[in-house]
Amino acid sequence: MLILAIDTATTQVGCAIGGHEGVLASAHSSRGKRHAETLTPAIDFIRRQARIDLSEISVVAVDLGPGLFTGLRVGIASAKAIAHALRVPMIGVNSLDLVAFPVRFTNRLIVAVLDARRGEVYYAFYRQVPGGVQRLADATVGSPDDLASEIIARGEECLLVGDGALRYADAFAGLSKVETCERGLAYPTATALVQLAHARALREDWVNPWELQPIYLRAPDAEINWTTRDGG
Amino acid sequence: MTREAADRADDELVILGIETSCDETAAAVVVGGRRVLSSVVSSQVDLHARFGGVVPEIASRAHVELLTPVVAEAMLSAGVEATDLDAVACTVGPGLVGALLVGVSTAKALAMVWDVPFVAVNHLEAHLHAAFLEEPDLQLPAVVLMVSGGHTMLIHWEAEGRYRLLGQTLDDAAGEAFDKVARFLGLGYPGGPAIDLLAMEGDPTAIAFPRAMMSSGYDFSFSGVKTSVVNHVRKNPEVATADVAASFQEAVVDVLVTKARRAAAEVGAKALCIGGGVAANSQLRERLLSACVDDGLQAFLPSRAMCTDNAAMVAAAGWYRLRADGPSPLDLGAEPNLRLPVA
Ligand SMILES: [Zn+2]
Repeated sequence: MLILAIDTATTQVGCAIGGHEGVLASAHSSRGKRHAETLTPAIDFIRRQARIDLSEISVVAVDLGPGLFTGLRVGIASAKAIAHALRVPMIGVNSLDLVAFPVRFTNRLIVAVLDARRGEVYYAFYRQVPGGVQRLADATVGSPDDLASEIIARGEECLLVGDGALRYADAFAGLSKVETCERGLAYPTATALVQLAHARALREDWVNPWELQPIYLRAPDAEINWTTRDGG
Repeated sequence: MTREAADRADDELVILGIETSCDETAAAVVVGGRRVLSSVVSSQVDLHARFGGVVPEIASRAHVELLTPVVAEAMLSAGVEATDLDAVACTVGPGLVGALLVGVSTAKALAMVWDVPFVAVNHLEAHLHAAFLEEPDLQLPAVVLMVSGGHTMLIHWEAEGRYRLLGQTLDDAAGEAFDKVARFLGLGYPGGPAIDLLAMEGDPTAIAFPRAMMSSGYDFSFSGVKTSVVNHVRKNPEVATADVAASFQEAVVDVLVTKARRAAAEVGAKALCIGGGVAANSQLRERLLSACVDDGLQAFLPSRAMCTDNAAMVAAAGWYRLRADGPSPLDLGAEPNLRLPVA
């Protein structure tokens, strides 16, 4: 079983092909935001590197977000189109799960934190379980200070990971028993996506392209203004 | 999944068109740039109505949800399989960047998997090519009046692929003026059809709204007439809304038709065409038609479905671009400020 994994939920663009042999080929780029320009040629490149024909792909996995809306949609639209054209199912994975997964070998509470712009972060808490991590509650969006308060309230040793933790390092600097991972682990990767999707693909835990929905966590501004104008 | 190089004749090329530049999610299959096998348009107008205009983020979200099913439906109703296609053409601009990116990403991915050329299409050129879908014998040179919510342009279409911009709006687009006046009069959104309908019950000569720059050049300005409407209604609260709508529409149509006609005479056009959403306006169509009869011009007034955004026109323009320029590279993105290609 071969999986094509696509991740464009952050400023980084990534894609990878892999399966039970691990990752056969991958490409990641983090310069700039031009996801649409980068992604299609990158997929074309890795399939040549992996020496496979796209028709050999049996599942398309994609990072569903939360993340930066425009980039996110480039990846999801591309992934849906590829799955549709190949007539194969899809697996969607939360971006925060992808950030937490590579740091799973710790007993500490893992906090995945991605930059949501506008002074906010997307975040979720995780704990190590055999073979991976388990999210303790739904991902949320809030200010770095909101998150800092939650960390204090939990009173546990924490490992922070993700570009949001680095960008708002000041908000977490004064907390005791809290460590932040370095930049090399700051983004979701398509290679982590291959690993996570592979486990789910073995259980046939997948969806059809038209059932796949991005995770935005924020309503469009117009909707927010509209609700406020109506008095909630 | 490689396919044999298409050795079909040009007029047998089968092209899938995709359009997501604004608030219509559309896909179509067209043969030889002329024959429409299917044209599916999923309008988001209801999603945007309560905001009184297109909300880019809402449009982009809807495109992601709707585009793959719309493509599937277009191919199903055309009765074509992926192996029948010779290219995937898609609007890359101008338009809303987030909305465009959904179409561009989808089109490039489909072209890559199906191993057919991807063809980047200019949305304005697509509107011009809509003419060929309904009038294969359209005579060039022509003058085209392109009027929509985003554009008001007068174009000299010299030959296929050769355009010259004669003039454009200096402020609001014509469609934008319709939307703003309709909102002010409480007629809802979209404003064009609402004003068109109400104007039929009103007197177009009731109020003399200004006709900006009517006798000079080919540029347009519609912010003045919009302000006059607001001032007039505030000063005369008892005025009949139907008369305001009819008089406003008359002023806008008057300017559009007068300039288009003068341009056609000056460049020696054989035909006069209209395109864009405002081209569905019944008064504009009637006036242009009679102007063409008077001036001995071939009139081309596309059907209402072909005036508004659709993907058949994208496939038609893509057919022309594929033959003229060949395939587009897969590292292309959206170009929200794209202009009409000037030869
Ligand atoms: Zn248009």
